[in-house]
Amino acid sequence: MIHSLFLINHSGDIFLEKHWKSVISRSVCDYFFEVKEKAVDPENVPPVLQTPHHYLISIYRGKLFFLSVVQTEVPPLFVIEFLHRVADTFQDYFGECSEGVIKDNLVTVYELLEEMLDNGFPLATESNVLKEMIRPPNILRSVVNTLTGGSNVGDTLPTGQLSNVPWRRAGVKYTNNEAYFDVVEEIDAILDKSGTTVFAEIQGVVEACVRLTGMPDLTLSFMNPRLLDDMSFHPCVRFKRWESERVLSFIPPDGNFTLMTYHVSSQNLVAIPVYVKQNINFFETGSCGRLDITIGPKQNMGKTVEGLMVTIHMPKVVLSANLTATQGNYTYDLTTKVLVWDIGKLNPQKLPNLRGSLSMQAGAPKPEENPSLNIDLKIQQLAISGLKVSRLDMYGEKYKPFKGVKYLTKAGKFQRLSLSFL
Amino acid sequence: MPYLGGEETVRELRRALSNPNVQSDQLRYRNTILKVIRAMSQGVDMSGLFSEMVKACATVDVVQKKLVYVFLCSYAALNPELSLLVINTLRKDCQDPNPMVRSLALRNMTNLRLPSLVEYVEQPLAAGLRDRAACVRRVAVLGWAKLHNLQASSEIDAAVVNELYSLLRDPDPVVMVNCLRALEEILKDEGGVAINKPITHHLLNRLKECDIWGQCQVLRVLQRYRPQSEDELFDILSLLDASLVSPHPPIMAATLSLFLSLCSGQPAVSLAALERVRGPLLAACGSGSREMRFTALCHIQLLLRSIPGLMGAHYKRFFCGYAEPAYIKQRKMQVLVELVNDENVAMLLDELKGYCTDVNAETAQAAITAIGRIGRSYSDRCLEILTGLLGLKQDHITSAVVQTMRDLVWVCPQCSDTVCFALEGCEETLQDSQGRQALLWLLGVYGERVSSAPYTLEVFIDGVRSEASLGVKMELLTATMRLFLCRPAETQDMLGRLLHYCIEEETDMCVRDQALLYYRLLHCGIEETRKVLQGRRSDPSLGVLIGRPAEPVSQWARSFNTLEPLRQGSIETESVSRGSPEHTMFDPKPNADLSNTLDCSRIEKVHSECVRCPTIPRCSPQSLQAAMQLVNIQTLAFTPPQTLPWRVYLYTHTCLDDAPHSTLILGELLYTGEEPQKAEVHKGSADGGVGAEGIEDDM
Repeated sequence: MIHSLFLINHSGDIFLEKHWKSVISRSVCDYFFEVKEKAVDPENVPPVLQTPHHYLISIYRGKLFFLSVVQTEVPPLFVIEFLHRVADTFQDYFGECSEGVIKDNLVTVYELLEEMLDNGFPLATESNVLKEMIRPPNILRSVVNTLTGGSNVGDTLPTGQLSNVPWRRAGVKYTNNEAYFDVVEEIDAILDKSGTTVFAEIQGVVEACVRLTGMPDLTLSFMNPRLLDDMSFHPCVRFKRWESERVLSFIPPDGNFTLMTYHVSSQNLVAIPVYVKQNINFFETGSCGRLDITIGPKQNMGKTVEGLMVTIHMPKVVLSANLTATQGNYTYDLTTKVLVWDIGKLNPQKLPNLRGSLSMQAGAPKPEENPSLNIDLKIQQLAISGLKVSRLDMYGEKYKPFKGVKYLTKAGKFQRLSLSFL
Repeated sequence: MPYLGGEETVRELRRALSNPNVQSDQLRYRNTILKVIRAMSQGVDMSGLFSEMVKACATVDVVQKKLVYVFLCSYAALNPELSLLVINTLRKDCQDPNPMVRSLALRNMTNLRLPSLVEYVEQPLAAGLRDRAACVRRVAVLGWAKLHNLQASSEIDAAVVNELYSLLRDPDPVVMVNCLRALEEILKDEGGVAINKPITHHLLNRLKECDIWGQCQVLRVLQRYRPQSEDELFDILSLLDASLVSPHPPIMAATLSLFLSLCSGQPAVSLAALERVRGPLLAACGSGSREMRFTALCHIQLLLRSIPGLMGAHYKRFFCGYAEPAYIKQRKMQVLVELVNDENVAMLLDELKGYCTDVNAETAQAAITAIGRIGRSYSDRCLEILTGLLGLKQDHITSAVVQTMRDLVWVCPQCSDTVCFALEGCEETLQDSQGRQALLWLLGVYGERVSSAPYTLEVFIDGVRSEASLGVKMELLTATMRLFLCRPAETQDMLGRLLHYCIEEETDMCVRDQALLYYRLLHCGIEETRKVLQGRRSDPSLGVLIGRPAEPVSQWARSFNTLEPLRQGSIETESVSRGSPEHTMFDPKPNADLSNTLDCSRIEKVHSECVRCPTIPRCSPQSLQAAMQLVNIQTLAFTPPQTLPWRVYLYTHTCLDDAPHSTLILGELLYTGEEPQKAEVHKGSADGGVGAEGIEDDM
């Protein structure tokens, strides 16, 4: 199925290759480089390319291309999902997925790839199973290994592989038993010129960090589970119980994992936490313009909005910006024409305001389009959809665990359009 | 760096590897091997170290073993004789008490891929199939597939195949799935694994135990199964229902694919399945991975071919984000075009208008083309936007707009007035040859309505010497000829100059021959010339191309969950950059399946009917046309607006894909305009040539 894998960095060097069937020459990547050259921005390289004898299916993550070579017809979703799984595994093992890290841990990377795929078919991809066969590197272990000559390869057969619960290893022991859940929500919204919502959606994710002894069976229930529109769960969640009782019942994997992701897309449910008053004018004469932006709180349910940041992609003719901000500071990047205003915490008593003049290229025509604003923000201790965890129960074990839930709201793709050309 | 110091590195590493001091210190030995692997992965040729590495293989250190195996498997093909030495160590490892070592040895033994070693590998592989550790069995099963790939021509050992079939009932799900994979490869010539009822039911019952990759594989293999009764079919379908809405897009797609192949005889069930996957597909469209989003979009396009209204309510999901890559934006626009209806058209056009000024020129052009496509049903609004875009004076935008206008006029000739008016003055901003070709075509065909046409052409003719594009020169010749036919006085002089240049000085054969042809044509007289050049101004199949009727699911079911739908886009975008419409659009696609089957002798019944409509509220021809498309009535041809009597010729046909007959209905709509508030709709052939006939035809 997957014939070979090439890892290619940002500038187009192949720095790792792995073949699961016969060796395919690196020259097959030339087709890819050709397209990459043409696309200018690496993000714009289409994920599937056809060459005379092969298909090249690639994903772009963390400034790296994971390029797989495929010789027969395959389900594309399968290959793409698998490549993402490979990248996820690297991330999980090394903390980040970058060229430097992969080069430093070349041996582990080869071992992982060898275990993950055999003859082109996925073999072991569950992180818990892999971690028992190949232990992730850490500083303490590498020191011990250097002294004792030990290795980072487990010499016992992974027990989890044959247990009924493939995602959890057997015989887990902790002195402190704890289960923490983070509910993180991102608002994707597009507002039009007048401030009305064109499109709004919340992408939520429940991340869990569970360190519990033995084989605990957890039940997590929500105050208002009907809010959620479409969900996807970690395989450990019993779907039948969710469908009938709307509670999450599961035997958790050990350590960090994503319990569920969900969407809330009904527009009336999506509260927009801030409002923006903006006024950007370009004058017909004198090649200059005026900018005036004010941000104020809207529906934030009594919590403070933090990490507020506004990004504006200015028209090409804007040369420089001479502005004053009542709060925070701003930068204007001359080459990319991006104005970034970093505000920080939003003070409802004294609304942050940015105003001043823009100078434009002399003689250039007045820009026809008004720029759109991208807004970035964070709200601690609040899930903007109103989702709340009501309780967590544990069965199957006797001890009392520490429990905790944290909420966080972030802006995802939060855009305010101000289309006024024509 | 690595490419230059190659020789030196190899020599240094060889010295280190054969140094007894290094060999005795396990840690230093392993680090040296690590250096070899690192150099290898940078592309340095390390094959010279093969014999040293073979020696390093005999060790108790699992990590070192793994490293050496990586090396050996890459270079074995270059040193078949030396590889024989490794086999001994590997066979010894196959007896190791540690199952991990056993599976490792077995895997690498098969990964060497040397035909000369097959005889040594077969015995440990056969033992591996009966190993008590599941991980060894997993490797052994796939090992047989690798062995078969090595010598595809050789006879397959029936005993092995039987053993693999029996391993389908192995307690370990991965072994089971690997057996399927191996058998698929080994029995490729016989059409893959035999899928009979017991195997199917066994696989379905164990589906839940497999990981997502295994589930995909099983679902894919099961596509070959044909249920024996309807009850069995519905049992299978209800068993698979949960996977159809699986949160994992690969499983969802594989299940739908299986559904479609199982229900190929039951279109209603297939359509219900498509409705059911709408949610998961939309969720995949919002997934974090852009490659996943792209693939999901491509598959949604397939679904829309059968149920155009499937995503109607969710059109906002297909609005483009600012930072999305160009290929996603372009796909989203293609989907948006399909989703347009009376309620959302204003919003959609507003959105598309925003994309027209995208930094990426290709995306901007795709947006303009999309507006042009919508213009076929909502021409007034779209033309307004397109003319507005011309005001921006950006060369790539102007070029795309002019090309779009040309395509639009070709399909909807009623837009020609607006287009002719908009064309004035845009030749200054046009830079690329495609755009100029489009402009020339429009000037040629509608020259009598564009007052400045001769002056524009004159500029082109004056610059013909420095013109590089062949297409532009050819188009210029034709356009000038056409303009000459309708405005001879203004054009005669420049036509003479152009023909003179092309015949006397032009080096390109095509242009010269074309010019000679026109020159001789003019000799034959003006009537003769007119007959040749005054061709059609619009597509002969007129409005037919606009709203495409819902296709039966079976048309695309085979390409679902394959690479096919991902490829289509590139073909579609290519067709955007083409020459003048009459050269390429003459193959009327929608009629292709009719022309060869429509045979007058086979018409069995002719029904004629005349219906008189009392009053129709006043509405524009375009909105009438769009409304009729919603109920699957297509327009064949109509008279230009503001002419009386105004007529439209319509057709519709039943689209039952399994019926042996399909009915084609032709009709004429007549508006006499005697009283402004009254319109008459005739269906029938009673008076004044107003006719509708039903043709029953074998399809």
